Amino acid sequence: MSSETETGAAAGSTADSPSSSINLESVRTVAKKDFQDSMRSWVFWGLSVFFFTLLVTITGVIAYFGEDIAAQGATTDVLVGLVSEITRLIIPLIALVLGWKAIAGERETGSIKILLSLPHSRKDVLLGKLIGRSAVLAISLTVGFVLAAVVVAALLGQFDVADYAGLLAMSILYGIAYTSIAVALSSLTRSTTIAGAAMFGVFVLFYVVWNTLSNVVWLLASREILFFDTVTYTTEIQGQSVEVERHQDWVYFLVNMDPGEAFRRTLTLITDADLIELQVELNAEMFGGELPFFLQDWFSFLILLFWIVVPIAIALYRFDRVDL
Amino acid sequence: MPAIRVDGLTKSYGQTLALSDLSFEVHEGEVFGFLGPNGAGKSTTINAILDFIRPTAGRVEVLGMDAQSHSRDIRARTGVLPEGVETYDRLTGREHLQFAIDSKGVGDDPEALLERVGLLDAADKKAGGYSKGMSQRLMLAMALVGQPELLILDEPSTGLDPNGAREMRRIVSQENERGATVFFSSHIMEQVEAVCDRVGILRDGEMVAVDSVEGLRDSVGGGESLRVTVDRIDDDAVQAVRSLSDVSSAAVDGKEPPTLVVQVDGSKTAVLSELEERGLEVRDFSTTEASLDDVFQSYTTDREVKAR
Repeated sequence: MSSETETGAAAGSTADSPSSSINLESVRTVAKKDFQDSMRSWVFWGLSVFFFTLLVTITGVIAYFGEDIAAQGATTDVLVGLVSEITRLIIPLIALVLGWKAIAGERETGSIKILLSLPHSRKDVLLGKLIGRSAVLAISLTVGFVLAAVVVAALLGQFDVADYAGLLAMSILYGIAYTSIAVALSSLTRSTTIAGAAMFGVFVLFYVVWNTLSNVVWLLASREILFFDTVTYTTEIQGQSVEVERHQDWVYFLVNMDPGEAFRRTLTLITDADLIELQVELNAEMFGGELPFFLQDWFSFLILLFWIVVPIAIALYRFDRVDL
Repeated sequence: MPAIRVDGLTKSYGQTLALSDLSFEVHEGEVFGFLGPNGAGKSTTINAILDFIRPTAGRVEVLGMDAQSHSRDIRARTGVLPEGVETYDRLTGREHLQFAIDSKGVGDDPEALLERVGLLDAADKKAGGYSKGMSQRLMLAMALVGQPELLILDEPSTGLDPNGAREMRRIVSQENERGATVFFSSHIMEQVEAVCDRVGILRDGEMVAVDSVEGLRDSVGGGESLRVTVDRIDDDAVQAVRSLSDVSSAAVDGKEPPTLVVQVDGSKTAVLSELEERGLEVRDFSTTEASLDDVFQSYTTDREVKAR
């Protein structure tokens, strides 16, 4: 319709950079600004201090009373197991609180117009926000982990640093996943009230709904409602073959889709800790010898990546198309 | 090439029509005053120019480029002072400036810019502690980063005291002398009057007048009022003046000394010679221009107006 004028315009400008493109320099600038800004949020630091305190106290108590465990050389296991559980519950909270206003808040106060009056694309802004806030979260986690480690080291002498570093790395990844969810949801509305409600919704979804999913499906299956059903397999208990029922494959897949569950399973990959409590124990026997690929632990790592990539990808697509 | 070309721009929000088939151009190198009462659609227009919102119909070109597909290129060469915007509470004035400088990839000195808007003293204070006027100055400084070809200032005087508003107009003039085109929105006529080459008046999403300040004055009936003191007055003379083609009204305004007030659109000498032909002696006369505020009022209120 207007191709003539557009060609003319493109020829006039030196570099033809469509408005919706991503410019890394722009992303970096936005991320830096957002990092400066978020680092000074007292709400964020309040939550972080809460997290540090919880972590240090509990690890301290365990370390103090856990000399027997230490004697058995299982300190790291206990430490990783405990820290990972606390982290699993608290990180989403910190990430959601850190991210809920990322875009909605700027739209509500209008300051998004400051960002977008400058030569940044909307995609640059979203990615910059995600990176800036992820960096803030990563710093908070690192500080918390190091503090906890210092306390444990002081009380117990030593522990496996590699396992612990792996836990930190995975925790950061897990935090980024929730930051991605938060920033993405925040970009879908211009009301911080709605954004806040959405964050609460996410919290309920993954803390409550998802955790009862396995039981609910079991219930539905036992009453043979709709397509819910169980699969029967044989296992040996004390030398005897026994028929046992299990969920259908997709149920396990769904349960594993929870970022928290993915975080736990990924941890079993990188640490030797045996104390991580999985929501559903899976073993190869249940599937006649080998676990389907989508239930293997390495796949959980992909699920974690999925939760980083997909929310922000949806937001990138949609945020380009709305009126501010 | 016009700096801004708005062509048939229409924007509706559901049932509400914010802009209806709006078309106008801002010439390169001019200061264009975009005038209209609150809610007339000024911000909507500016939002479309900056690609903050997408038009329902029509198109906008800025610096020869499509406002939507080349928004980033446009904003690289444009300085913007957005309206009704809060600054980042937790960042200092200097950090705001540095952000704008980094964003545009230029090497400006934050302090020089802060000094220009009179904010150097508060450079390292957090913007959360700024007054409304200070925030406005800060955003003006951010708009000036990188010597933009085009300045888009949306209600720049908001929150400024008269002194600050004058300072702001001075900066607008300086920028214009440097070669920048300035697009300047306001709901107060006197603010655009002093600095604008041309003025567009928006009302209910439609442009009701675009003209130079002079032209606007002339376009409204009673563009000038002529006050004539004569030695005596008679009704015939008043009638004769009234019947002149350029005169819209004539009235006696006091007997001591006899004074006649004439609203005249064109030649004032015609009025004076008519009086002298009638044997009246003109002792003194003065003209007062209709204030632009009157012009603005006449365009934006429901008074009867002969448009253009």
